[in-house]
Amino acid sequence: MTSTGARGAHVDTGTPPTVGSSPKVCSPYVVGWILAGGGALGLAASLILTIEKFQLLADPSYRPSCSINPVLSCGSVMSSPQASLFGFPNSILGVVAFTVLLTTGIVTLIEAKALPRWYWRCLVIGLFAGAVLVHWLIFQSLYRIQALCPYCMVVWVVTMTALWYATLHLGARSLSASSRTVKNIVALGAGNHSLVPTIWILSVASLIVSAFWDYWSTLA
Amino acid sequence: MKLTTNAKFSIALVAVFAVVLGALLLGNRRGTEGTSAGVSEASVLRDDTHLLSTAPDNDVVLVEFLDFECEACLAMYPTMERIRAEYADRITFGVRYFPIPSHTNSGLAARVVEASSRQGKFVEMYQRMYDTQTQWGESSESQEALFRTFAQDLGLDMASFEADMNDPAVAERVKGDFNEGIDLGVQGTPTLFLNGVQLPSMPTYDDLTARIDAALAQ
Repeated sequence: MTSTGARGAHVDTGTPPTVGSSPKVCSPYVVGWILAGGGALGLAASLILTIEKFQLLADPSYRPSCSINPVLSCGSVMSSPQASLFGFPNSILGVVAFTVLLTTGIVTLIEAKALPRWYWRCLVIGLFAGAVLVHWLIFQSLYRIQALCPYCMVVWVVTMTALWYATLHLGARSLSASSRTVKNIVALGAGNHSLVPTIWILSVASLIVSAFWDYWSTLA
Repeated sequence: MKLTTNAKFSIALVAVFAVVLGALLLGNRRGTEGTSAGVSEASVLRDDTHLLSTAPDNDVVLVEFLDFECEACLAMYPTMERIRAEYADRITFGVRYFPIPSHTNSGLAARVVEASSRQGKFVEMYQRMYDTQTQWGESSESQEALFRTFAQDLGLDMASFEADMNDPAVAERVKGDFNEGIDLGVQGTPTLFLNGVQLPSMPTYDDLTARIDAALAQ
């Protein structure tokens, strides 16, 4: 997920015209690729989860043995009530949302300024709601269900990474209308853009390691 | 290609994380190697293992690591009861506790069964747990009150039952089975060992009887 492409600012279409020294922003190419790639990954994961849910429903007698392996636990994440928070499988939300993300990424790659600011605002609000849901699901997965599901973890990472880069892009697009403080914050974010998702991923990884330590230590 | 400081910091963080994790796992392995070397090798059958069937010669020993809250163990239970009835006195069949940590009540259920065994009702409580599992399994709330009614129904002395259920020695007994299971390579339940050899997961009745018959014929 870490990208070194921030320097690829050779396409200046997305850099807003600023007076004086131009503050550093994340290239729309980087943002476009991350949203398109993340959207594709998230869509694939959500589709697999949805299809597997159908298969599980088709054969309810299927009983894998109960395992201390958090990834293959019989307290299956998919059959938990938390997996259908709104009365239908959460993964259906993912299929819709990641399709939007994928499309947004591709449109941004074609024409950096094609989408207006209000669109990016809505996208960031939507991603923020997704991020709230993701954190609740992480908590449930680690401390209530006590099992992991690899496809869900893909969704966690993609949602948080997309939120971060969409926010950075919205900040860059709003620069002309912002105060000096906001400009500094955007420049700081753009200058350390891969650091934020990296720290988030490593923090969650640490929580996973500590929550399932009993199991990992049997593997060593 | 020249890396930005941003990328350098990110890569450095990942590297530090990997090194710390590796060190922790390695340290953990050294620790367990030291202790397991001290208590000799793990054994499938212990003197305190609860036996559902005993053969005088102990030639064929079947041991099941089980969890009272595990649905797969419940699915296996009718097969194991059939085996127990058909091979009574011909094989030694023991069961050991392996409460899966992600099940809220499996540890408690194991302690309840162990406490009942102190009053000679191991088999009765073992059966009771599987007969009722669909009522209490997968619950996220403690089923202590329900388990207490099981003990009452079985006519246990409730004062000693309460004391035993909360006795650290009972918890130790359960934990001992679990830890030895880990040392034997048990990763889930039900796990069966026939004469010390781990069998494939969830064998069918026919598969299991074929293996037992072959072992008896030897």
